[in-house]
Amino acid sequence: MLMTKQKHSMQPRPTHDESVRQDFVTDMRAYLTDEIYSLITPHYEKNIEPDFYRSNDRKPKDKSEVKSLMLGDRGYQSWSLLQRLSQQMMFTSVIDTVERNLDQMIDNLDKHQEIGSLEIDESLDIPRYLTAYDIHQQPGGYHSESIESDISAGAVYDISLPIYSRNAMGEENDLLAQAIIRYIDENLQNFMPKDILDMGCGIGNSTLPFSKKFPDSKVFGVDVALPCLRYAHARANALGVEANFSQQNVERTTYDSDSFDLVTSTLLLHETSHDAVPKIINECFRLLKPGGWMIHLDVYPFHKKEDDPIYDFLKDWEVTNNNENFSGALRNMNMRKIIEDAGFSSETVEFTSAEAAAKYTKGYTGDFYLKLPVYLAQKPDHT
Amino acid sequence: MKEKIKLPRVAKGKKPKYLDDGSIDNLMAMIMTLTQEISVLRDRIDTLEYMLENKDIISNKDFDEFIPSDDLETTRKNRRHELLERVLLPIKKDLE
Repeated sequence: MLMTKQKHSMQPRPTHDESVRQDFVTDMRAYLTDEIYSLITPHYEKNIEPDFYRSNDRKPKDKSEVKSLMLGDRGYQSWSLLQRLSQQMMFTSVIDTVERNLDQMIDNLDKHQEIGSLEIDESLDIPRYLTAYDIHQQPGGYHSESIESDISAGAVYDISLPIYSRNAMGEENDLLAQAIIRYIDENLQNFMPKDILDMGCGIGNSTLPFSKKFPDSKVFGVDVALPCLRYAHARANALGVEANFSQQNVERTTYDSDSFDLVTSTLLLHETSHDAVPKIINECFRLLKPGGWMIHLDVYPFHKKEDDPIYDFLKDWEVTNNNENFSGALRNMNMRKIIEDAGFSSETVEFTSAEAAAKYTKGYTGDFYLKLPVYLAQKPDHT
Repeated sequence: MKEKIKLPRVAKGKKPKYLDDGSIDNLMAMIMTLTQEISVLRDRIDTLEYMLENKDIISNKDFDEFIPSDDLETTRKNRRHELLERVLLPIKKDLE
């Protein structure tokens, strides 16, 4: 089967050279993971740790001790630099295509407005955790606008995801939501949510799967970033899936209390802040109807291995090297306490993993299951 | 004429230093970009070869509308892997 990079009518078509430039980055990232990153832990165990042991008569005790050793190691630093560069090369190769087609894409918005809705609040302040630095090095972040009706941040994100994930996210970039849906199917039997909210929805790639899974429900997506929301609404139309997008801060939305049966987020919390996380959890509680569920899918907060400092150190890579500044601190927060303090029933609070079948395509073979961390809890049902 | 849109290409945030004073970091970025461009050229040449088998005249549009077959994708993937293997061998050696 021939595969085109253009997955729907809101995506621009890359030129030949843009397309293979993007393919190079996909393959470079695969190479860095399979051939170079895979050498780091063995190299540490074979060379770095024994050197340390010889001079100190003990192993390094925690990730900060490992860090000081690794930052002086040329091999590790070379991988780390290349991994950072691959992220920059990914965005550059995609921005070329988006920039060249942007006028046409914005003109095309008119033809992608029929279903669902888009609510804009131009007066909304973008939180500092999104403006102080560009998260995961996407130039301009999610919110910046270079032209009227700009959608470039959304388009760049949509096209970058398959490159970032070596095509593991699926044709509609919906792998993460599919993991949540699979979890619901397997663990929350007979749960048929009617009103669903996706917090920090971005381009809606994790919002639309809920509209498809629960066709009788009403699905909402909120985010602060307007270029992503405009793109999300148009993208939903391009894919023919109904959802309602609204520009709001998830720390405090305008929806009434007890409005939703299910509130979700995917990769939202680690891109916020120490102050924002409890506010978001409290807002989830307020928004849920009694008996409703909150499910967040996020990165590694509870996979900490105290006895394995090299693992712990490597898991923090994104923090300083890929502008995911808060993700390290989130891992150290007491999420259980925050969730219970918000009022959720403590016996329903769960930290577990959701699985999704990642289908590698285009030269990669086979399916494999990605385990993705989720935290969930149910609002007490007093009826 | 409408002004040409320029999107930002540099992300806001701290720029860590990895090797030496940062000049090696820049060199590495330049080498990887050159490697990427070699890969682009090589892919363009083999698109040309594929097209030449069936056609007399090839336009730029033909290039941009060309969609590689799965076999060609696999060939390219393997070739890029080998190119990366050659360019990044010194770094692999540091980790062995």
